[in-house]
Amino acid sequence: MKYRKTALFFIVLFLALLFVAPPLFAQEKEIRIGVLYPLSGAAATIGRDLQRAAELTADIINNKTPGVDIPMAQWGGIPNLGGAKIKLIFADHRGEPDRGADLAKRLILDDKVVGLMGAYHSSVTKTVSAVAERYGIPMINDSSTSPELTRRGLKWFWRTTPHDEFFNKDLFELLKGLTEGKVKGVKAIPKDQLKNVVYACENTEWGSSVAKSIESYAKEYGFNITKGILYNANSPDLTSEAKALVSAKPDVMLFASYLSDSLLMIRTLKGMRASTNFFWGQDAGFEMADFVKTLGTDTNGVLTRTVFIAKITKVKKVAGQVNALYKKKYGDDLTGATARSVVGVQAWAYALNQAGSTDPKAIQKACNEMNIPANDLVMPWAGVKFDATGQNILGRGLIGQYQKTKDGKIDLEIIYPFELATANMIYPFPGWK
Amino acid sequence: MEKLKDAFDFRDFSRAEQIGLIIFSIFLFLFPWLGAGSFVKAVMIQFLLFSLFGMGWNTIGGYGGQVELGKAQYVGIGAYTVALTMVWWNIPFWVSMPIGILLAVGYSFMIGYPLFRLKGHYFAIATICTSLVLQDIFANWKLVGAAKGIELPIHDHPDFLYMQFKSDTYYYYFIMVLFYVALFYMNWFRRSKLGYQLRMIKDDEDAAESLGIDIRWCKIKAYTIASAFVAVGGGFMAVYNLYIDPASVMDLDLSIKIALMAMLGGAGSLWGPIIGAAFLVPLDRFLGSWLGGHKGLVGLDFMIYAMLIMVVSAYQPRGIWGIIEQFRRKGS
Amino acid sequence: MTLIDALLQGILMGLLFALVALGLNIIWGVMDIVNFAHGEFLMIGMYTTYWTSLLLDIDPLLTLPVAALVGVLLGIASYYGLIRYLLRGPAIAQLFGTFGLMLFLRYLAQFLFGIDYRIIQKGILIGKSLSIGPFIFDWTKLAAGLLSLFAFAFVYYFLNKTKTGKALKATSINKEAASYMGIKTDKMNAIAWAIGGGTVGIAGGLLANFYYVYPTVGLLFVMIAFACVALGGFGSIKGVFFAGLLVGILEMVFPVFGSLVNSDFLGPHFKFTIVYLTYFIIVVFRPQGLFGWKN
Repeated sequence: MKYRKTALFFIVLFLALLFVAPPLFAQEKEIRIGVLYPLSGAAATIGRDLQRAAELTADIINNKTPGVDIPMAQWGGIPNLGGAKIKLIFADHRGEPDRGADLAKRLILDDKVVGLMGAYHSSVTKTVSAVAERYGIPMINDSSTSPELTRRGLKWFWRTTPHDEFFNKDLFELLKGLTEGKVKGVKAIPKDQLKNVVYACENTEWGSSVAKSIESYAKEYGFNITKGILYNANSPDLTSEAKALVSAKPDVMLFASYLSDSLLMIRTLKGMRASTNFFWGQDAGFEMADFVKTLGTDTNGVLTRTVFIAKITKVKKVAGQVNALYKKKYGDDLTGATARSVVGVQAWAYALNQAGSTDPKAIQKACNEMNIPANDLVMPWAGVKFDATGQNILGRGLIGQYQKTKDGKIDLEIIYPFELATANMIYPFPGWK
Repeated sequence: MEKLKDAFDFRDFSRAEQIGLIIFSIFLFLFPWLGAGSFVKAVMIQFLLFSLFGMGWNTIGGYGGQVELGKAQYVGIGAYTVALTMVWWNIPFWVSMPIGILLAVGYSFMIGYPLFRLKGHYFAIATICTSLVLQDIFANWKLVGAAKGIELPIHDHPDFLYMQFKSDTYYYYFIMVLFYVALFYMNWFRRSKLGYQLRMIKDDEDAAESLGIDIRWCKIKAYTIASAFVAVGGGFMAVYNLYIDPASVMDLDLSIKIALMAMLGGAGSLWGPIIGAAFLVPLDRFLGSWLGGHKGLVGLDFMIYAMLIMVVSAYQPRGIWGIIEQFRRKGS
Repeated sequence: MTLIDALLQGILMGLLFALVALGLNIIWGVMDIVNFAHGEFLMIGMYTTYWTSLLLDIDPLLTLPVAALVGVLLGIASYYGLIRYLLRGPAIAQLFGTFGLMLFLRYLAQFLFGIDYRIIQKGILIGKSLSIGPFIFDWTKLAAGLLSLFAFAFVYYFLNKTKTGKALKATSINKEAASYMGIKTDKMNAIAWAIGGGTVGIAGGLLANFYYVYPTVGLLFVMIAFACVALGGFGSIKGVFFAGLLVGILEMVFPVFGSLVNSDFLGPHFKFTIVYLTYFIIVVFRPQGLFGWKN
């Protein structure tokens, strides 16, 4: 009789534990964030790199990582959410806006994500952010640079990266700096050596907005655009485009191209023995690891705007530590695009920690009030702080130059901002022999 | 009135097909309440949309036997009309949609008239060319947003006038209604005078001509009907995605997909485009989204897709519906 | 001066376009099939050159026979593996089958080689240019143009002077009559596919000298090839040659005129639009193409 009662007691206890235990064990909670990147299709190379960087950052936040000097690396999960882990759920949008929208719905409604991140292509970011807005789910955009994205009055959309207007302003600051002798290793250059500007941008949402802002800044800074073309990125031949640029006898050549067309453009220009003083590419194709791998020493002297350069590790310790982790795991240095993905995940971790809850309203508030100090970022930025439109106002770009080292390799050196410069600028552009 | 009755008359189909249609309709009506996830719902919407496109293509491509590979230009016209009139003048969807259809019809007539001087492969390639030209024009025309595309304003609350809803269920029922309108129309069309004339043209143009059929005029009429169908789908895409650009609504890929689905299912049969879409849309979306997360398997989904297409086309030129009929005949 | 320069560059590109289109044209002429997988044949030719030159460490120009051989084998394999079964069906099913082949080859390449862009870096001609007076020519393009011309002449000779070639031509003019004369249609079809694959393999090899390779590269060229073939008139070797040249010249010369007028619609991004538009207009007035004959 007595035994029976004891047995019953234990059985009840056991059953009770079964019901109580899941929440107990589930202390190890996870917070799902949906990440949309182009993992297949034309931009799959970059998508793969972005995914790797995001995964690495989530690992750093979820597990205490010695040797990375940011507070986040010691969190081991989100502190204010009981050490909950961040789980990134990746979705492949292939660069198609409608597929991106469908996947965003899947992430929000089926996978019950707390928020969204992505989507690299500005066009896809447009549809994805529209879905996020409809469902009232926060989206932090890490890597799309079309200025318009933050000018749509969205309440659930924030962007950590600076947009193209910031970058184009940097470019003209650099040109102005050249004329004023501010650039490391180059004496002041008379302005008429840089006056004649041409640009070629690919005809996409992103390329055409770059073109527009180059036009307006050129006017503001007093440079003269003699030829500006938009070209079709899927062109089997760019000879006539290159001819049009070369025949304008340019001092300054500016490009906005993804990888395939940047390769073809440089090959074509080389075939024409084009010469100019200043050769600059707007990120994207120009700063990808494959750009140098494919073109080798032909890139000597080419400038590219970016937000992250491996050389930054000389000036910024954390960047070096994260970069070393990434390189150890995947063999490449972080690039502008992939480092932005790191910051995207960092911003998410901050927002979640600040909100202390997974409630969208709380996260919205946390994002609006976000203020990540400069020291916590891998980027050489002053921090992350959003203005009323959701644009990070503390970000800034870098301009780097590919330079041939003595052993015939190519390094990307920082040229702008002037105080961060890591090498003397090669001026004028050496061209191709 | 006679005509209207014809549209709802499915009596000449076999019993199995009638029962299939009823079960399928019940399934469609109840689908949002079956507890499927939102991604499945989005895939269903895509399926209905592509069935609609496919049925449109079927008039000229299936019944008429003209290989038409430029349907994306009419998707674009429909989508752009709805988007632009909404952005510029705030015109409701229910007004802009008919305008879009009218524009598509007008444009298709204009293009169709010279186009149908051509036959066979010349025609097929010319349709691709016109579509590419229109896409290039839209991609560079600043007034319509050029390559940037057009973004529709998001409305906070559900709005029936502008067809803006938060939940996909509304869109689902809306596209389902369009789907049924198309299905009933096609059911009428296949037994209409034009339908018979087209089939005659497909079998033997010379014989059709000797019977006094104006071949070119018939083809143009069918082509115009197809364009109207597709433009409706385009308008739907604009309000559903809230963002359109030439690369997503006018691309060659889209034209090919439309023709491919109809041909895989069985060109020239009422069920063909629906079956084709039922195979390829889920294959594309589910497999793609599943494989996307697995590195190293990228491309495998399309290889399966391609194998299916090759096997079906080699085995039975009339597509999946052809295979089903073949088995049925063997069985009986 | 710019105009003459553009004309010369256009001729070089045009020769290559014509070679790409040649194989498509022969298949079209003999069998009345549009091979949508043609661009993918080109892509495979490019990959062949890329990999052989990289792995064997030889000049890309020396890999041309390999590219041609791979193209021939691919053509024959496609014919016996798929196309023969498609012949029973209507034109629409044939088109549909070659679509399948196109997708299959494209994504097979993606599966095997990944989506990276690859470009050949080593070779005697790569990165070198020749200047004659005020004109500068890229050596790789010059070689591509001249070798295309050579390949074209060879095929022309083969079709017009050899017995097999004449049989092939007879088949393309009238299949039934030819088969009454004892020409085996099946064999002729296979030969057409072999030549089609071989020529486009060579074109791929030449193109790989200055163009990057990736799995969907074929699509860019196949549309131009379609326009060339239809413009020239199906089955006409002479037609495809001049159509290729016309496309090449249009593509280069149009932007020169366009740059005189500063308009959104005359920029270089419209150069291929103009090609398609020209095709459309010419074909509407001459439905059989420039050099085709009426059925």
